[in-house]
Amino acid sequence: MSDRKTERLINLTLALLATKRYLKKSEILANVAGYEGSPESQDRMFERDKDDLRSLGIDIEVGDLDIFFEDEPGYRIAQNSYELNITELTPRDLALLSVAANYWNGSILAADAQSGIRKLNSLGIPTAFDFDLRIKYKFENPAQHLDILSEAITTRRSVTFSYDSYSLKFRQIDPYRILIWNGYWYLIGFDHDRKDIRIFKLSRMVSDIKLSKKKSVFEIPEEFDAEKYLPTIDLQIQHLAKIRVKKGVGLILRERGKVLQEAEDSDLVEIGYENEATFLREILWNGTNVEIIEPINLRELLVSTLNEFVL
Amino acid sequence: MSESALDRTARALDLIPYLLEHQGISITELATVFGVTEKQINEDLILIHMCGLPGYTPLELIEMYYEDGFVTVSDPQSLKRPRKMTRSEVAAMLVSLDMMKSLQDTQLVAEIEGLQNKIRNGLQMEIPYVVISDTLTSPFVKVIEVAIMKSQALAIEYLSGSKDERSLRNIAPLELYVANSQIYLVAWCEKSGADRTFRVDRILACSVIEQGSLIPRPKRNQSMVGDNQVVLVVDHAARSFVEENQNIIQSIEQNERGYSAVLYPVDEEWLIRTIIGYGNKIRVEWPPAMAESIQVRVEAISQIYLDI
Repeated sequence: MSDRKTERLINLTLALLATKRYLKKSEILANVAGYEGSPESQDRMFERDKDDLRSLGIDIEVGDLDIFFEDEPGYRIAQNSYELNITELTPRDLALLSVAANYWNGSILAADAQSGIRKLNSLGIPTAFDFDLRIKYKFENPAQHLDILSEAITTRRSVTFSYDSYSLKFRQIDPYRILIWNGYWYLIGFDHDRKDIRIFKLSRMVSDIKLSKKKSVFEIPEEFDAEKYLPTIDLQIQHLAKIRVKKGVGLILRERGKVLQEAEDSDLVEIGYENEATFLREILWNGTNVEIIEPINLRELLVSTLNEFVL
Repeated sequence: MSESALDRTARALDLIPYLLEHQGISITELATVFGVTEKQINEDLILIHMCGLPGYTPLELIEMYYEDGFVTVSDPQSLKRPRKMTRSEVAAMLVSLDMMKSLQDTQLVAEIEGLQNKIRNGLQMEIPYVVISDTLTSPFVKVIEVAIMKSQALAIEYLSGSKDERSLRNIAPLELYVANSQIYLVAWCEKSGADRTFRVDRILACSVIEQGSLIPRPKRNQSMVGDNQVVLVVDHAARSFVEENQNIIQSIEQNERGYSAVLYPVDEEWLIRTIIGYGNKIRVEWPPAMAESIQVRVEAISQIYLDI
């Protein structure tokens, strides 16, 4: 039963924390509540409990022998290794942290951020909201791949997955970092097939992610800087178009462009665009209110897009 | 119950120091703080009540009282202080502060960095996440944040992308968030008589108005979902449509060709125009009238380009 085991683990923690000297295993088994059954099974129980507490991040010290202990090792938990020990946080710090922790929106990091905040809130510091930070992040979806990818990164295992792309579907990557950018999650890493560093959107990973069995199969280059590999396309306007926009409509395009020539029922507008496909969608969104004049190839592209709608 | 003994132990160890600093807290609030049910908290308390130090006489047990749904701890035995943070807790907090930094101007950044150093607490650790700061800003973010804090009403001039019109609206701002490379504002909109989402970069002017001049937002649940079902077949090539419109897609299935998505749009006009933009990469499976409307419009646009 989980109740009894939980109880025993709590009692063991309490006892090991309370003691200044090391407790012998025999003392523990005899005095800490919950160790029952044959000596062998008590022994196994205790070994498992130690591992369990360690997996919670609790340091159980194994004591060097007191001369009186003969061969039996002793155990204790040192308070300063168990307890949260942190430079004094201000009430404002705590408020900032609790705002920040709310960005995660159900993703895997949410639970860790919240439990961290709970511990800080157990230090007896009040929280003071004296700022107006109301903007937050909302992610497209709680990214389910985060824990497995962060494990792969920290243990330096390569990963394989299927990717929703035009060309290459199956990818093998040495994962370097998970990027949070504009409300999207990305993985950046070394692509084995492309022999280069590539960026992948987590939402386009369409299969489970598999980790290599071996650890430490690659190294992240020293001074690796993810920002250097970001597509820079949105930073510069690359093309100029001329479009005819009817009076009083196409307002967003008008806002972005500049009127070159006014006519009776429409204006000729010059406008910059970055991405052909996105721009074309914008033009088509405006229906018969907007006509592309230049460049000619965009005009042709638009017509061929329209021709795809065959009855 | 599928919860492991280890998870429960971890929670119990955190619960006691938390109670010590929040004497007389309600079980309801505890359940919210710890993200579990009240039933679970009750069971935890019963369990903790039986734990203590060897001897296990009343003097050695953890001493606490819970009455009428409120809890007080009088003797926590050796659990006076919270456990140190795990690496993943530290990482999660550092990354959320990075995100906060990316949304702020320089003034707060230094303060947040100081806080990050405290949290890191000398711990050398690898953090697998990198937050890319972005240049998403708008002169109105500050005004809107203050308005949300103080429940102020705003008058905005808005360039509606979905209606292709410029309009003046009185709004009560509710929520501000970053998604899809944009800053969005959710607000009660008097003109629409409902909650609406606005793109902040399309707000042309914004000022605080007298709260009383705004028709109050009705208490009933405001949903941003329309009445009519639309079923779309979305090709892989048009997946950006799916990514950008998660919030209006009710359900979605993925297949080899792409996606089949069900949505209830508030604004059908906007949806029709958007679909045309994707060529035949998005097809309307339902309703037939929408599919026809698209055909008619496509033909009308084609008329403009007869020379090609």
